[in-house]
Amino acid sequence: MALKALDIYKLLPKKNCKECGDPTCLTFAMKLAGGKADIDLCPYLENGAKSILGATTRPPIRLVKIGVGERSFAVGEEFVLYRHDKTFHHPPGILFKVSDTLTPEEICGATIRVRDEIFTRIGSDLRFNGIAIANTSGSPEVFARAVATVEENADLPLVLMTENTESLNAALVQVGSYQPLIHAATTENFREMCVVAKKHNCPMVIKAHGIDDLAALSKDCLSEGVKKIVMDVCPQSLGDYIATATAIRKLAITRAVPDLGYPVFLDAGCLCFQDAAIALGIVKYASVIVTPPLNQASSKAALTLRQNIYTDPQKPIQMNPGLYRVGTPGKNAPVLVTVNFSLTFFTLQGYLESSRVPCFMLIVDTEGLSVLTAVAAGKFNETLVRDSVKKFNVENEVSHKTLIIPGYAAPLSGRIEEATGWKVMVGPRDAAEIGEYLHEVWSKSTTVI
Amino acid sequence: MGYNLTFGWSGKIGRITLGATRAEGGTRKKSYNIGGGTTLPFLESDPSSAAPLVALEICDDPEYWSPIVKNYCGNLVENVDTWAQTAERVYGADLIRLYLTSTRQRNFSDIASLGKTIESVLRSTVLPLIVEGSNEPRIDSEVFQMCGETAQGERILLGTAEADRYRSIAAAALAYNHSVIAQSPIDVNLAKQLNILLREIGLPRDHIVIDPYTGALGYGFEYSFSAMERIRFSALKGDADLSMPMISSAIDSLAIKEVREAEPSLQDSMAVQWEFYTGMAAAVAGAEIICVRHPKTVIMLKNAFESIRNGAGFQEVKQDGTQGA
Repeated sequence: MALKALDIYKLLPKKNCKECGDPTCLTFAMKLAGGKADIDLCPYLENGAKSILGATTRPPIRLVKIGVGERSFAVGEEFVLYRHDKTFHHPPGILFKVSDTLTPEEICGATIRVRDEIFTRIGSDLRFNGIAIANTSGSPEVFARAVATVEENADLPLVLMTENTESLNAALVQVGSYQPLIHAATTENFREMCVVAKKHNCPMVIKAHGIDDLAALSKDCLSEGVKKIVMDVCPQSLGDYIATATAIRKLAITRAVPDLGYPVFLDAGCLCFQDAAIALGIVKYASVIVTPPLNQASSKAALTLRQNIYTDPQKPIQMNPGLYRVGTPGKNAPVLVTVNFSLTFFTLQGYLESSRVPCFMLIVDTEGLSVLTAVAAGKFNETLVRDSVKKFNVENEVSHKTLIIPGYAAPLSGRIEEATGWKVMVGPRDAAEIGEYLHEVWSKSTTVI
Repeated sequence: MGYNLTFGWSGKIGRITLGATRAEGGTRKKSYNIGGGTTLPFLESDPSSAAPLVALEICDDPEYWSPIVKNYCGNLVENVDTWAQTAERVYGADLIRLYLTSTRQRNFSDIASLGKTIESVLRSTVLPLIVEGSNEPRIDSEVFQMCGETAQGERILLGTAEADRYRSIAAAALAYNHSVIAQSPIDVNLAKQLNILLREIGLPRDHIVIDPYTGALGYGFEYSFSAMERIRFSALKGDADLSMPMISSAIDSLAIKEVREAEPSLQDSMAVQWEFYTGMAAAVAGAEIICVRHPKTVIMLKNAFESIRNGAGFQEVKQDGTQGA
């Protein structure tokens, strides 16, 4: 089904005009072949060629940008069913949903939370992505006022949730130029909704139950001229969501049903177990998730799960090599050497913190490999330890000359002693035992005066 | 719906039995038959397919157990029998996973006491049991022999076999007809290797549960998630040495920074949500036994699994109040 780059090139104008953003038609063809570019970027393509290329070259799931400015986010452009097949690219936006019947204070409260809350983990800032406003009141004036309240407080991506075009137009007077996501076009109202979406160049959610109806509706909206589509599958249960979202992803990435090649929308508040719905949405293909504001515990768990699932499994997360402090270590504090695989780092750090023994962690660059693999591959070796001790000035930090190495690196202890001139103690294999080790073995060793 | 989601897989997850009722030679009120899946989790069209089971983890010596659980449960943790009973009757667990943490005391040698503990826990609950034996190779053989013998007829799940430590546990399982948890460090090939080792010493496939090791959410969980997905995928494609049901226990969840350092008033909900999100994702990846330590997580997971399976839907069922602006 997919065309090769050279086949595509034959159909391009070969002007090398650069207007698509690529230096030549050939490089553009290569991108198209990889599903990394959209055929519409070429302004000189003949209609015949366009129809041949259109379905086969665009990314199997279209990229849709929501909002403008710093906090805007893009979703879609996914290629796989399992993250281990390659990676998932665009983490789902999670937006707090407020009803226009809430007081301005309540709406403002949710908005400010999304605007300000940052949860930092492994050097990344995790945040919620925007606000969804539901037209529960049914009144265009009330809706417009609620949207204005959000807008006055923050420049966040928005979802405008109303099927009433009058309400929608009232809200878009306020925020029409910020490309909010419109929710939603149905089989009944899609013509009017498409007119509004086109006028403001907004991305639009289409809503139908069942993938046949969704595919038909997306086709209708596309022929009305709306390309930035997101699909609400209206799940009747959590199980229904998993089944539908999986089917859509599979049909989209295999290009079996190109009309399903759009990101998926999930309203977690519609389902009876909100946290369950969010967790399922994150692991199973949702791209835009709206939920009533989450408490702190759910917030952190949800954001962390999203970070985990959207981590690229092809590259191990690495820590910057260096000397890290746990607590406020003094001159006598132990120095523990380990690798820069972040999982190793955080696990060990966690156990060290709970041991309540202030210490130094000397993180050496094993290119993100774990202790076991790094030792086996020879990446963790005496030269690396020697150079790291020097580079990070360990000598100036402590008054002793003893290193504790991981249990799995025990065979290297002699060579590390020779290369560094430091005494080497072999720690436990399992980080869970490090507390006991520091209390029992280290505290009785001669290093401690 | 006009579309039938099929992947063309021919493999099937093997079935394994946990627990034995009187009719089956034990004393449990129910036994579970897990496995049997032919597609991705929760996509089975067969409504009789089993929901993931939720096990509450308890122990016979709570000295090093999570302070969060100890705070929540109070004196309960001092008596493993009432703890087990409460897990069944109040917390609603499907299974009890008993850690014999007393064996971790220095120079532990009172093997006979373990037999008494298992016996009285079996008397205190009618649920099938998972028993985690020693952590110390020196006493493995005696400990697992004692676990196996005491629970004879009860078809317990014994933990935990690893690549360099599986003989004593497999021997006890074989002698007394129990099943074994086979743990490997987050790697589909290592999981397969251990299953082959166990098979070679005579343990049948329907007596093995795979534990691919579950890192805590935020601390490597993504690796475990993918390992589980890959194991399930290999099984469905027909690899019989990976076709056993999986167990997931994100054992460090209550010790990680976000939970440990949460404000006291938030600690319980943080612990519960951390376990809940991890358990949900693990179940979607293919785990069929989800183990947790906070009692409140049990019912949340059970309700969610039930809701996924029976299609109970919209808002009419209220959540248990943990949510709010």
